[in-house]
Amino acid sequence: MRKRMLFGVLGIIALGMMIMSISCHKENPNTLTSELLPLEGNPLVHIRILVKVGSANDPTGKEGLASLTFGLLAGGGTRTRTYKELTDAFYPMAAGVAVRVDKEMSVFSGTVHRDNLDRYYAIFKEMLLDPGFREEDFNRLKTNQLNFLEKTLVSNMDEPFGKEILNLMLYEGHPYHHPPSGTVETVSSITPDDVRAFYKDQLVQGNIVIGLAGGYPADFAARMTADFGALPQTFTPHFSLPPQRMPEGLEVVIADKQTPATAISMGFPVSLTRASDDFFALWIAGSHFGEHRQHVSHLFQKIREERGQNYGDYAYIEHFIQGRDKFPSTNTCRQQQYFSIWIRPLANSNRHFVIRQALRELRKLVEEGISEERFELVRTYLLNYTKLYAQTLEERLGWKSDSRYYGYEDFLAEAQARFPRLTREDVNRAIRKYLNFRNVYIAVITQDGEGLKKALVENAASPIVYANPNMPKAVLDEDQVIQAYPLEVKAEKVMVIPASNFFRKPGLPGR
Amino acid sequence: MLKFILPVLSLSLFLILPQPVKSSDIFPYAYKIEELDNGLKVVSIPLPNPNIISYYTIVRSGSRNEVEPGKSGFAHFFEHIMFKGTKKVPRAAYEEFLTLLGAGTNGYTSDDFTCYFVVFAGRENLGKVVETEADRFINLTYDEEMLKTEAPVIEGEYYASVSNPGRRLEELLRDTAFISHSYKHTTLGYLGDILDMPNQFEYSQLFKQRFYAPDNTILLVAGDFDHGQLMELIRKHYGSWERSNYTLVTPTEPPQTEAKRAHYEWPTPTLARLAIGFHGPAYSDVAIDQAALDLMAEAAFSPSSPLYQRLVISEQKCLSLSADFESHRDPYLLSLSAVVKKDEDLPSVEEAIWNEVERLKSEPVAPDLLAKIKSNLKYALANQLGTTDGVAGVLSFYVSLATDPATLNRLYGLYEQVTPQDITAMARKYFVKARSTVATLSGGSAR
Repeated sequence: MRKRMLFGVLGIIALGMMIMSISCHKENPNTLTSELLPLEGNPLVHIRILVKVGSANDPTGKEGLASLTFGLLAGGGTRTRTYKELTDAFYPMAAGVAVRVDKEMSVFSGTVHRDNLDRYYAIFKEMLLDPGFREEDFNRLKTNQLNFLEKTLVSNMDEPFGKEILNLMLYEGHPYHHPPSGTVETVSSITPDDVRAFYKDQLVQGNIVIGLAGGYPADFAARMTADFGALPQTFTPHFSLPPQRMPEGLEVVIADKQTPATAISMGFPVSLTRASDDFFALWIAGSHFGEHRQHVSHLFQKIREERGQNYGDYAYIEHFIQGRDKFPSTNTCRQQQYFSIWIRPLANSNRHFVIRQALRELRKLVEEGISEERFELVRTYLLNYTKLYAQTLEERLGWKSDSRYYGYEDFLAEAQARFPRLTREDVNRAIRKYLNFRNVYIAVITQDGEGLKKALVENAASPIVYANPNMPKAVLDEDQVIQAYPLEVKAEKVMVIPASNFFRKPGLPGR
Repeated sequence: MLKFILPVLSLSLFLILPQPVKSSDIFPYAYKIEELDNGLKVVSIPLPNPNIISYYTIVRSGSRNEVEPGKSGFAHFFEHIMFKGTKKVPRAAYEEFLTLLGAGTNGYTSDDFTCYFVVFAGRENLGKVVETEADRFINLTYDEEMLKTEAPVIEGEYYASVSNPGRRLEELLRDTAFISHSYKHTTLGYLGDILDMPNQFEYSQLFKQRFYAPDNTILLVAGDFDHGQLMELIRKHYGSWERSNYTLVTPTEPPQTEAKRAHYEWPTPTLARLAIGFHGPAYSDVAIDQAALDLMAEAAFSPSSPLYQRLVISEQKCLSLSADFESHRDPYLLSLSAVVKKDEDLPSVEEAIWNEVERLKSEPVAPDLLAKIKSNLKYALANQLGTTDGVAGVLSFYVSLATDPATLNRLYGLYEQVTPQDITAMARKYFVKARSTVATLSGGSAR
């Protein structure tokens, strides 16, 4: 059974109440809820605290605060014990507390053998409920966060960098606009008092879902509920997000740096989430067009398999974080979503060709839809592939709570029931309704950014050169079309920005 | 390397070795090992987890096997070629088969082996998976043009991590530390060799003939299936696969006699990096060396070690500090690495690591710390064995090293035996300055 969810139109209080009505089988929005998955005999126990607060809750001017605060809980000492004492205590159990902050959700989690459950939980609880906010921990984690923004993200990891630039383009002036780590300027301004205040305001009962899975004792859930029941009985009202801004034509941001390879991400907002009936039809379209790291991806077939351009090419109909193996991670639910194409790094010489190729394939998807044969194939694929999603305790619990967020009893079971009822026309209708090829944000990391800008604006020919002199004629014939495929890129819609200028302060550099 | 020592009964019989769980065993599941008369080993681990089966094909071919000049990265390249299909099941049909199955599938290559896995739901699909995978390994068909088209994908894979300074530092450390052994290069290989891959069709066939053979391969199947049925399928479909009888001779690395250093200047701002590598032992579950070194890595360089606490937590000079003593079939490097926040701290961090190395030679690790480490290793393993795929993933590594899952029990048995004196002895034996290589990376000073 599921309930529907509407977004962004009901105002702060109404929306907050609505989310609670779906997420929690409970009456009182000010108290905790829980997701339990007891598995008697399982030697492991997974403990998970889901907090319905993320980087979108960062106060203006303090972007990065949720990450620093929650990072400090998981990576700092408590009031009575130093961080070293905590790591020493965890060490014999081979356990720890992991934290991840997304736009609207954050998760603290750990898996421990049931032999060690009591000892582990005593520390876990202390870290979240009695934090130390010690100066040395604060300084260490703040410096790490700044280093990540200043050096690692812009200099050492072009694929995530490209995705964050796309995020900046998608969400200018929107609570989603900054990376969860924030920006150099705003993180620099965060004080220990900011962290304490954010903790006090946000780690409150109504924001929390307690998760437990595995071989825990019968009374354990009640103990956890009692312990976390000491937090204040209140909740953070969900903010009403502003409408997502569609790009006007092709909007391009080029991060310029010295590099032998070009990383590309592109996309645009979509007006649906998993809560929508149309999601299942669009899911088939997305999987067909670009399933993450699978051969079934059409883009993968065209760009990598036929032409050997790069390591992979994928597309997503919602924000995607890879979890175990290649499966989607859980607990990154959002009220608003976006469609994206991820072109993995390729030789600079072929960057223009591949941008053309990806956009042309997107156009063909929108104009021609999915074939009956592919529809049947991909539907069967998803029916089977999604059976692999929830294997570990963490995954099983994560999918359970995500189901509730979007208003389902069991989202994966819902997919099993929905897919067989869909038709090819349902999928093509969803493609036409949600996808487009004219209005797309394009983020590129490359060198000689001005050269790429010029080539894009002038629609210069972009022939491709192969190592194989005997490429199939069909590929070469199609290449002739792709290399001259016209893109309407206006000069004023292309920004070339030195890579090191990003994430200094909120927003796109130069805006 | 440990080999099976088993009597050959007859050409038409299979060797069956059921392995019940003993109370002293760290690996908690019963398994069976069988060997076909063509040399193909099968490790079967039926598990109670419902509906999921992990089907792993482990070919003992990694960058270690790339012994000829100009062929670095070839094992990984051949992993890609393995997806090109057969006459019976061409590439497109193979991909359609996997798509309909909804399988989680891929391959990966390391220094010592290449692993192909198909993880799928439904025991009714096992027959088709065995048949299709057997056909793929026995009857792989590809032509020169397919190889030429695939080769640039490797270049793309190289580019996918080209912005990662950690990879560059690893390349530098290995290239500097080794003279002769094929561990000199990384699994991806040198860029020059990658760019030459389109011209290596003939060599690719030689590579296949040498290493893609049953006597160099292990099947590891974990999950929801019946062992008898599995073996019947495997005998039927893999029985015709012919042995290669090829013996790889890896070059012997000459003893290093002088300390080496190398530096790489990164073109853009980055945190500085440091790695110190010492020539270490080959994997063994009989000698105490690897086990003692594994415990030493934890005692001296894990997050609860004094040095980590000082450099990462108290002084905060480093973002991270770690030891990588990963087991290899041939003697590999014991490497100690740090990511340093300020370039100017590189010398003092290096000095601190050297001081710790010296301390390990004279000060025995406290017995209670050793007990904590043994506990950590035990529970870390248990955490990884929570799913079918976790079991297959862990075992595939150890099976690739020693061809026998029991090696895991033997290794953990050795962990229990390691004394503080063993660790001191290993520090003296392996942490010799003249056998060390220091690689550093820094660049684009901040702000």
